[in-house]
Amino acid sequence: MFGYVTPCKMELKIKDYEKVKAYYCGLCRAIKYNYGNFPRLAINYDMTFLAIFLDSFNEYEPKYIKSNCILHPIKKRILIIENTSLDYAAFLNTVLSYYKLIDNINDDNSFKSKALSLPMKKYLRKVPSKLKGTETLIKKKLDELYTLEGNNSLDNLDALSHSFGELIGELILSFWKDRGDKNRIYNLGYNLGKWIYIIDAFDDLEKDMKDNKFNAINSVLNKANIPYNEFVGSVKGRIEFILTSYARECAEDLSHLTIRKNEEILFNIFNYGLLEKIDSVFSKKEDK
Amino acid sequence: MRNPYEVLGIEEGASQEEIKNAYRELCKKYHPDRYEDNPLKDLAEEKMREINEAYDCLMNNRNQNNGYASEEELLNQARIDIQNGNINEAVNKLDNIRARNAEWYYLMGIINTRKGWYDAAYQNLNRASSMEPGNAEYKNAFNSLNKRNNHYREPYKKGRDANLCDLCTTLYCLDCFCECLGGDLVPCC
Repeated sequence: MFGYVTPCKMELKIKDYEKVKAYYCGLCRAIKYNYGNFPRLAINYDMTFLAIFLDSFNEYEPKYIKSNCILHPIKKRILIIENTSLDYAAFLNTVLSYYKLIDNINDDNSFKSKALSLPMKKYLRKVPSKLKGTETLIKKKLDELYTLEGNNSLDNLDALSHSFGELIGELILSFWKDRGDKNRIYNLGYNLGKWIYIIDAFDDLEKDMKDNKFNAINSVLNKANIPYNEFVGSVKGRIEFILTSYARECAEDLSHLTIRKNEEILFNIFNYGLLEKIDSVFSKKEDK
Repeated sequence: MRNPYEVLGIEEGASQEEIKNAYRELCKKYHPDRYEDNPLKDLAEEKMREINEAYDCLMNNRNQNNGYASEEELLNQARIDIQNGNINEAVNKLDNIRARNAEWYYLMGIINTRKGWYDAAYQNLNRASSMEPGNAEYKNAFNSLNKRNNHYREPYKKGRDANLCDLCTTLYCLDCFCECLGGDLVPCC
């Protein structure tokens, strides 16, 4: 369900583009050093964004090195090392992708997910003890989400995406002990979580309906079981409105936060990147 | 059915106490036990039925009226709670209201907007303004919810469109310029 929070590349300066890439490669390396090689397969841009976001609240310049990796053995890449935000994002990347696999297994008993979750489980043992509480929080919130997904009487998408929003909000906050601006930060995470949940559901709508799998939008808005082609036309406006509203809320919260670095990357993500992603998901539907 | 007040022999708008008293008097008067061996027994039974019906009707009506009035009161209180920022209080009050009119949906829409539940808010406000299309308050709230996103989208849309336009205009001007000089930059036009 991840990989939607990306900057709008065309509006990004080259230096910022390089920075995003350095965070991405740094995250990959952090996963390798903290957990192992296998979970690196699950790396995604949402967690890269998270690392950039968390890192933006301190003024320290990240430590860059030039190095090559398995994927890029010849050309050396710039990456960031020894960074607590990246370590935290690496933890979330690993744990969340494991629970995503478990969810897939519960959903449709998928063989692929089973095969992937077994080796993945081994790496969860490496979660440091101070993050165990956060892991429990993830489990608890995801259970809440699955209970909500089983509730057929919900009539709006806010009620359903609420738990996932809370999860992301709390995950972002628990990176710090206490903050004066925690309401803003939580609210940003809450809206971003809901945004990810809904855009993912809309992106997968056709596939889920074809495979008869659970889909948030289908479950809440399609009580009459209308076929996909008709249904998608009838909800498009509504989904676009919701997604734009959540994104706007994130941008609003960002503008009130005191950011110490990476301002332009974050501004780009919330003011252009999210909208670009909405447009690209919608135009993908129109092309078909 | 006859006018229940007439049946009970009281004036319209009589108090609950008066209705009860009149009912008790009539019950005593027409009670079937008093007409055991009387040819008027059937008539008395029918009269009794009529009295019971009238009494039930007046009592139920009164309860309903009372209930409705207090729901209206609740709506007003909820509105004040929202103005004072007591969102949870307002939600509790609105949850207790059974008759959901346009105002109920409007207030719920305002609460959901505050909470950031934009899907729910949109549905609520849309419903409120379609239930009472003439109400400016509902309409304004709905329109401003819609407008918010336009402001947010503008820089993204404008920036990109302007770039595209600039590009086309530049190409067009260059083409014209070249053609003036006898050359051609864009051969197809």
